Amino acid sequence: MNCNNYSRFTSRRELLMRTGFGLGAAALQALGAERAFPNFTPRAKRVIFLFQAGGPSHLDLLDYKPEMTNRFDQDIPPSIFGTQRITGMVAHQDRFPIVPTMYGFKQQGQCGRWLSDLLPHTGKVADELCVVRSMNTEAINHDPAITFLQTGSQLPGRPSMGSWIDYGLGSANENLPAFVVLNSLPGNGMADQGLLSRLWGAGFLPSRYQGVQFRSGGDPVLHLSNPPGVTREMRRTQLDGLAALNEKAHQREGDPEIETRIAQYEMAFRMQASVPELVDTSKEPEHVHALYGPDSRKPGSFAANCLLARRLAERDVRFIQLYHRGWDHHGGLTDKIPSMARDVDQPSAGLIADLKQRGMLKDTLVIWGGEFGRTPYGQGPVKPNSYGRDHHGRVFSLWMAGGGVKPGHAHGNSDEFGFNVAEDGVHVHDLQATVLHLLGVDHQKLTYRFQGRQFRLTDVHGRVVRELLS
Amino acid sequence: MQLPFVTLFLFGMAGFAASPALDYGRDVRPILAENCFHCHGQDASKRLADLRLDTFAGATADRKGHAALAPGKPDASALYQRITSDEKARRMPPVSSNRTLTGEQVAILKRWIAEGGTYSKHWAFTPPVRPDTPITANKSWPKQPLDAFVLHRLEAEGPRPSTEAAPGAWLRRVSLDLTGLPPTPEEIEAFVKSVRSTGEAAYKSAVARLLDSPRFGERMAMDWLDVARYADTHGFNNDSARSMWRWRDWVIQSFNANLPYDKFITEQLAGDLLPNATLDQRIATGFGRNHVINSEGGIIEEEYRVEYVSDRVRTLGMAWLGITLECARCHDHKYDPISQRDHYRFYAFFNNVSELGEDGRVANAAPMIAAPTAEQQRRMKELEAAISTAGHRDVKWVDKATGGKAHDSAVLGIHCDTAEEGVKLSEGIVGAGCQLDGASAKPMTKSMPVSKRDGMTFSIWVKPAQEDKDVPLLSAMDYARNPASVTYGAGIELRLVGGELEFRFAQRFPAYSMRVRSEGAKVEAGKWRQLTLVYSGIQDKSSMRAEAAWVRTFVDGQEIETRVLNDGLGVPDEKSKPTPTKFRIGWDTGGAHFTGQFDEIGTWTRALTPDEISGEFESAAKFYLRPDPRITKLRGDLLALKRSFPTVMVMDELATPRQTHILMRGGYNAPGEKVEPGVPEDLLGAWPAGAPKNRLGLAQWLTKPDHPLTSRVVVNRFWQQLFGQGLVKTSENFGIQGESPSHPELLDYLARDFVDSGWDVKRLVSQIVLSATYRQSSATTPELTARDPENRLLARGPRFRLPAEVLRDQALQLAGLLKHEIGGPSVHPYQPAELYKGIVVAADYPGTNWIESKGDDLYRRSLYTFWKRTAPHPTMTVFDAPDREFCIVRRSSTNTPLQALTLLNDPIFVEASRKLAERAMLQGGRSAEARIEYAFRLATGRGADAQEMKILTETLRKMLTAYAADAAGANALLKVGASASNSAIPAHELAAYTAVTSMILNLDEVITKG
Repeated sequence: MNCNNYSRFTSRRELLMRTGFGLGAAALQALGAERAFPNFTPRAKRVIFLFQAGGPSHLDLLDYKPEMTNRFDQDIPPSIFGTQRITGMVAHQDRFPIVPTMYGFKQQGQCGRWLSDLLPHTGKVADELCVVRSMNTEAINHDPAITFLQTGSQLPGRPSMGSWIDYGLGSANENLPAFVVLNSLPGNGMADQGLLSRLWGAGFLPSRYQGVQFRSGGDPVLHLSNPPGVTREMRRTQLDGLAALNEKAHQREGDPEIETRIAQYEMAFRMQASVPELVDTSKEPEHVHALYGPDSRKPGSFAANCLLARRLAERDVRFIQLYHRGWDHHGGLTDKIPSMARDVDQPSAGLIADLKQRGMLKDTLVIWGGEFGRTPYGQGPVKPNSYGRDHHGRVFSLWMAGGGVKPGHAHGNSDEFGFNVAEDGVHVHDLQATVLHLLGVDHQKLTYRFQGRQFRLTDVHGRVVRELLS
Repeated sequence: MQLPFVTLFLFGMAGFAASPALDYGRDVRPILAENCFHCHGQDASKRLADLRLDTFAGATADRKGHAALAPGKPDASALYQRITSDEKARRMPPVSSNRTLTGEQVAILKRWIAEGGTYSKHWAFTPPVRPDTPITANKSWPKQPLDAFVLHRLEAEGPRPSTEAAPGAWLRRVSLDLTGLPPTPEEIEAFVKSVRSTGEAAYKSAVARLLDSPRFGERMAMDWLDVARYADTHGFNNDSARSMWRWRDWVIQSFNANLPYDKFITEQLAGDLLPNATLDQRIATGFGRNHVINSEGGIIEEEYRVEYVSDRVRTLGMAWLGITLECARCHDHKYDPISQRDHYRFYAFFNNVSELGEDGRVANAAPMIAAPTAEQQRRMKELEAAISTAGHRDVKWVDKATGGKAHDSAVLGIHCDTAEEGVKLSEGIVGAGCQLDGASAKPMTKSMPVSKRDGMTFSIWVKPAQEDKDVPLLSAMDYARNPASVTYGAGIELRLVGGELEFRFAQRFPAYSMRVRSEGAKVEAGKWRQLTLVYSGIQDKSSMRAEAAWVRTFVDGQEIETRVLNDGLGVPDEKSKPTPTKFRIGWDTGGAHFTGQFDEIGTWTRALTPDEISGEFESAAKFYLRPDPRITKLRGDLLALKRSFPTVMVMDELATPRQTHILMRGGYNAPGEKVEPGVPEDLLGAWPAGAPKNRLGLAQWLTKPDHPLTSRVVVNRFWQQLFGQGLVKTSENFGIQGESPSHPELLDYLARDFVDSGWDVKRLVSQIVLSATYRQSSATTPELTARDPENRLLARGPRFRLPAEVLRDQALQLAGLLKHEIGGPSVHPYQPAELYKGIVVAADYPGTNWIESKGDDLYRRSLYTFWKRTAPHPTMTVFDAPDREFCIVRRSSTNTPLQALTLLNDPIFVEASRKLAERAMLQGGRSAEARIEYAFRLATGRGADAQEMKILTETLRKMLTAYAADAAGANALLKVGASASNSAIPAHELAAYTAVTSMILNLDEVITKG
C-alpha cells in the first residue's frame, strides 16, 4: 500500500479547496492557513434561511401602520416620496394612492409584537422572533434584488452567502454538503418569478462551494440512486474494484488527486445511504408533523422543506437555504397573499417551535424574508379590499430567530407609511455582516482573492447590527 | 549560473541573503500594491494623506523636510519608519485594513530602499521582445526552441525533466487536447508502428492529422465559448431562448480554417465595419452580443443597456488585454494604471449598438440579421440563378383586369367610393379614392378581430403625395402615453417607412413587438402601389409563438423579401379571445400622418394565399405585368427559403453615435464628463496611424505586432488549455496584481513567434504539442510533487481531469454512440426530469421547457448542448462548467462526490457503459479477458496488466453470478438510455459486462488527461 498522503504538499490548502465535503475550518487551521474561522466564538452553528422570493408585502404582514388606516386613496406626501426610483411598471401612474392593509393586526406574545392576522401561527412564536422593520436594499427588480441579498452584489458573478460560509467554515458533517438548497412552489401554483442557480452558485470561488439542491421528486440529489438493476452490493463490488485499480494508478502516477478521487467515490457511496435516510420524514412522529401542518407530508411543499431543514440542521449542515416563490403581488395581492401566508405561516412557526423543543434554536439562526417589500401605494386600480403593490426596496421587514439574536425584539422602524427607514436602517450588507458575525466570522476577514483583488460578501460595506444581538 | 530570485519566492525564502539585486516589478511592487496602493495609489479619490507610493516622484516628494522614500536610506524613509513602528496608531498598514506585512516583506522593502528605491514599468506593459534562445547544458533534450527555455530553468534549479511519455500515452494526450476525443486503438497501433519506423516524423504527421480533423475546431471552440460567454438563453429572471448558434458555427469554422488570430479578433470586434463585410464577418460580431440581456418587465432600460456595454468592456479586458478593465468602471483602477476615464473611452467604442435595454423576452434581441447556413446559401444561389435564367422572357403585359377576385370576403372592405370614415374623396384606383392629409382624426367605425394566434391579411392601395420617412397607413397602436406606461406601444399597425411597408404588432413597442419591414417595395411619391401584408399566426404549435420570419409582404400582387427588426411578440394567453380592433386610416396617436391617396383597403382574418393576393391585385389594377407562373413559383420558393433562415444577434453602429460620458460611480443615471473613444496610449502603445476611431480601429490597435498584451494573453491561454495552467497562472489578469510568469522569456518568445508567424494558431499549438516539455510523462515522484506541487517548473507532463464536455464526448465515442455532425442549432440530450421545476419562471417563454431531443441529437458533442444560463445542464456544471453569465477564461477543477455519482449513475454514462460492453462483446473476441482487454484498450489506450485484468475479470465473475439470479435487474439496467440493446446477447451477460465497463469509464486514468 502506498502511503502517500496530502501532508507533504505545500499547497495542501489549495488542494483542499478543490475537493469534496468535510474539509472545513478545522482542516485549514491544522494547516496554519492564513485565515482560520471562526474568528471568535460563534453564536450560531448553522443558518436556515427561509427565503420568500418575489417580495412579500411588509405592510400586510410584519409592519403595522395604523397611521395609514384612514388615508385610503390619498396621495403619498411628496416629502415622503422623495426621489424614489420606481419601476417601469408604475412609472406611468398619474398618482400614487395610499392603500392601507385590509388585514387586521394584533399584538402577539409577551412582547406584544404587532403581527398581521395572516400569520396566526407566527404570532404564537412572537416571543422568539427578532423582527427587523428597517431593512433596505438598492435594487428595485427581482433579479438584481435577489442576487444582491444572496451574493452582496446586484450583478451576477459573486459567490452566494452559503458558498462564502462553506468556504470559510467548511462542513461539520463528512457525509453531507455544507450548503443545501430546498425549493418549493406555492400551494396556489402561481410562482411568477424564476429562481437562478447563481443564487446558490459559488461565483468565483471553486465550484465545490456551490449549494447542493435537494429535490422533492426523483433523486433528492441528482444521480444519487444507482441505475435500475444495480444493487448496493453490486455497487460495493464495483467500487472495491475501482479503488484497487485507481490505487494502482496512484502508485504509478504519484498524483495525489487520485487518492482524493478514491475518497470521493467512497463519500458518494456513503451519501447514497445517508441522504435517503435524511430526506425520509415518514418516521417523524405525528406530533412533529402536526407542528409543521398538514402540508408537511406533501413532498416539495414549504412545510415539508421546513421539516427537512430541521433534519439537515440536526446533521450539522451549515447553511440550509429554502426558497418559497410566489410573493410578487403587483395586482390582486388580496387574492394571493392569504394562500401564500397559509403556505408558510404554520411551517415557519413550527420550525421555530421544533428547534426550540430540541434545544437547537439557541445555536440555529433562522431568517425569514424576501428580496424587498412592497409599495404602500397601490399598483393599478385600488379598492379598500382589493389592491396590488409594486416592488419596494426603500424599507421592508424580515424576522430572525435563535442563533444569538434578541428574542421578542423589534429592531428599527419605517416611517408612518412604511415607505422610508425612520430609524436604525439595516442595509442588505449589514444583514450579511450580522449573519457572518453570528457564525463567528468577521465579515471583513472572510475574503477571497480574485482578479488581483480581495473580495468579500459585503463588498466594501456592511456593519454588524449589534443592537439586535442577544 | 544565475539563480533567479523568483525561484526563492516560489520555494520559500531560504537563501534570501545570497540573492542578487531586487527587481521592483517582481519583488517589490506586489508588496506595495497589496498593502499600500489602496490608499496611496493612483486613485486620487481614495488617496489618503495626499501620498502616493506607486510612482517614484510621489514617494520621494518632499513632505515638510522628509519623504516617504529616501533612496538609499531606509531609516530616513517615512515608509520604512511607519511599517516598522511600534506605535499601533502609526503602524502601516493600519489594523483596520486587515493587511499585515510579514517579516520577509519588511526586509525586502528595507533592502529595496537601501538599493536605491528604483521603480520600473510593469513587465506586461512593455512590448514582448524576442529573447535569445538560452544555452542549455543538455543539448539533446529540446525538440522545439521553446524547450530550451524550460530546460534552462530546470538546469538552474535542479529537477531533471521527466522521461518521455510512451508514444501511445502521448497520442492519447494530444488527441484529447486537439480534438477532445481519445484515439482509437487502431490509431495508436499505427502510430506506435510509425514511430518505430520513422521516428520524429511520426509525431509530426500525427499532429498534422489531428489539426486537419474537423474535430479540432470543435475542441478549440469549447474553451472560446466560455470566454465569449456563449449561451442559448438570455439570462436574468426570464431567461428565455436566443439563437446564437450561427456564431458558434463561425467559431468552429474559423479554428478549422486556421483563420489568423488577428482576424479572429478583428472580425468578432468589428466584422461589420470591414470594407464589404461578408455575412460571416457580420455573424462574427455576435461575440459582442453574447452577453446576458434582461427582459424583466419594469426594469429601467438605460440601466441595463449600460450593463451590456460595460460587459463588452469587461470581456475585452479579460479576453485579450488580460486587464481587469471593469475595476475602473466606478473609480480609477486601484492597482493598474487604468483611470476611470480610460474605462469609459473603451466603453465609447461599444456604446453605439442599436440595441434596447429591455429586450429578448421570446427570441433574439435587436439588432439581428438573417444568417443562412452554407447549405441554405447554396440553395439560395441556385434559386437566384434559376430566376435570373428564366429572366423576364415570359412576362406578359395585361392591360385590363382579366381575373382575380375582389375583396368581398374581407372583414373590412373600404372602397373609398363614398366619404367613408370622414376622409375626402379623390380619384382612386377603382372608382374614387380617399384623399388623406392628416386632417381627419377619427378612428374607423368598423372593427376587426385581432388575435396573435390566427392569420391576418392587410391590403391597401397607396399613392403618397410626398416621400416621408415614417408614416402610418393603418394604425391601432397606442403612442399617446408616456413610453414607460404599460399600455404604451400596444397594438398593431402598418406603416410606410422610407418607401417600405413596415408591420408592427406589439404588447409594448419596441421591446415586446414583432417588427418586420419589406425589402424592395420602393413605394414612390405620385405612383399607385398595392401593398399587402400577411401575418401567418402560429405555425409551430410546439412553441405556440408567432415568429416574425413568417410575416410576408407583397407589392402589386408579387411577394417580396422581408427583414426582421424585432421578434419579441409573446406567446398568447391560452384563454385570450380576439380583440375587436379599430384602425386609424393614415394617422396614429403619436401625431404622425400619411399624406396622399388610399384606395381599396381590405383586411382578412386569415392568411391569404399568394394566388388570392395576386387576384386581389389584378381585380383592381388597370394594367400590370404578369410574370410567368414558373418564375412566380421560383420566387415563392426563394422567399420561403429566406423565411426559414436562422437569425443571429450582431453589433452594428448607430448613424448618429451616442455621446459617451464617464458614469459617476458607474451609475447609468450619473453622467459626468464627456469622453470620446480611445485607448491608454501611454501605457499600452500608440493608436495606429490612420485607424478609424471605432471598433475597427480598436481591433487594429489590439492586433498591432508590438501590442504588449494581446499576443501574450492569447498564447498564455493556449498554453493553459494544453498544460492545465498558463505560464501566467492568472490568465485573466496580467496587471500588477496578477501573478508573474513562471517563464517570462518563454512567454515572450511564444508571443513574438506567434505574431511573426501571422498569428497562426495551428502552428503555435503544433509547436507546443511536439515539444519535449509537453511530451514528458506526467508521472510524478513524492520529491518532485513536494518540490513543485503545481508543476510550475514543467519538469513533468500535464495531468488533469478532463473538462465536462470532453468527459461526456469521450464516453459517447467509446460507446460508439457519438454523432459527428458539425454545427447547427443546440440540442437537448437527457436531463433529469423536472430539473427546471421550482426554478424557472412560470411564464411559458421559449427555453423554459426542456423538450428532449430524439434520435441522433441525443448523442451530439457536448458543446452543442442547449445552454440555459439560470439552470445549465447539470452534467456540465458538476464538472466545473461555468453558467456563462459573463466571460470566464479559467475554469476551476474540482474533485467531488457529486462527480462520482454523475459518472456512475447519470443515464448517459450508464447507456455509454452498456454500448461499450456490447462493442467489447461483439468485437473483442470470445473470452472474458479478450473482451475486457478490448474495452480497456479503447478507453485507456493501453493494455491491462495482469493485476488489473484479475480485478476486472473477478468483478465480472461476481456480476455474472448476480445477474444470472436477477433477470429483472439485468433487464432494467439494459433499458437505461434511448438506444436499443443488442437482443442477440443474453441480458444477464450484457448487464454484467456493463457493470465492468462502467468501472472502466470511471477509472481515474480514463477521466484524466495524463
